[in-house]
Amino acid sequence: MAARTEHDERAGTSTSQVDAPPVRPRGRHPVATAVSVFGELLITAGLVLALFVAYSLWWTNVLADREADKQGDTVRSRWADGPGALDTKDGIGFLHVPAMKNGEVLVKKGTDPETLNNGIAGYYTDPVESGLPWDDEGNFTLAAHRDGHGAKFHNIHKLKNGDPVVFETKDTWYVYKVYKKLPETSKFNVDVIQPVPEESGVKEPGRYITLTTCTPVYTSKYRYIVWGELERTEKVDKDRTKPVELR
Amino acid sequence: MYGWIWRHLPGNAWVRGVISLVLVLAVVYALFQYVFPWAEPLLPFGDVTVDGASAGGAGADQ
Repeated sequence: MAARTEHDERAGTSTSQVDAPPVRPRGRHPVATAVSVFGELLITAGLVLALFVAYSLWWTNVLADREADKQGDTVRSRWADGPGALDTKDGIGFLHVPAMKNGEVLVKKGTDPETLNNGIAGYYTDPVESGLPWDDEGNFTLAAHRDGHGAKFHNIHKLKNGDPVVFETKDTWYVYKVYKKLPETSKFNVDVIQPVPEESGVKEPGRYITLTTCTPVYTSKYRYIVWGELERTEKVDKDRTKPVELR
Repeated sequence: MYGWIWRHLPGNAWVRGVISLVLVLAVVYALFQYVFPWAEPLLPFGDVTVDGASAGGAGADQ
């Protein structure tokens, strides 16, 4: 077939230019070929990196939001029979932070990547075990992604002192108020999630909440910490009426 | 490299274009489905906890 095409071209009757150039026109120098291949490899590497950015910042969000919706629906349907007693199966509850404008975030046990990559927040089991909202005292310590995988804590920098952070369980609304932020700390600084987080200025045991994520955005060089203290609780009523902070 | 691939694809320019598109999509799919999920935990962009361990789970540093 190639031979026929060549023949056609020689005869000047071909309309197809596809096979026109011979494989090595005028005997291209091997160095020119090497440079050309190297250049194409560089272009390819650039395209792959661009695709990786799209994957990290867009596609993982698509997957995580889908999964988080599914897992959230599971919990909501478990709770569908009304307030009732505390039920922590499939997730202990939902975090609502109006200042972050991210809707509700399902909270589950553990902060390993497999958990957090589902577009949810996790409470610490390691290196310092988190307190839970219904404990008499303790620090409810949470982590979630800043970018990608749902990016549930993306807007953590929008939180100001006094902003409400509401945690919803099957039977109770826990209303926390932010009282301290730490915009940058080392990832080795586990003191921020101690039961009494003295770095936030408190000395007495109490009912605290700590949000942790990475900073600056798009990297994981440091950690961003926000502390809140429980202000009040509200029993969930039949209609799951939201506390005033969420209306 | 790409010129070499183009020259070795069968058919006319249209057929080659379609095959090229399919090849590109296959590569993108493989990257999103297999390569990037594998590579991401190895890169330090998604660590959000303060235990000092990397996303790969290198163990807790206190």
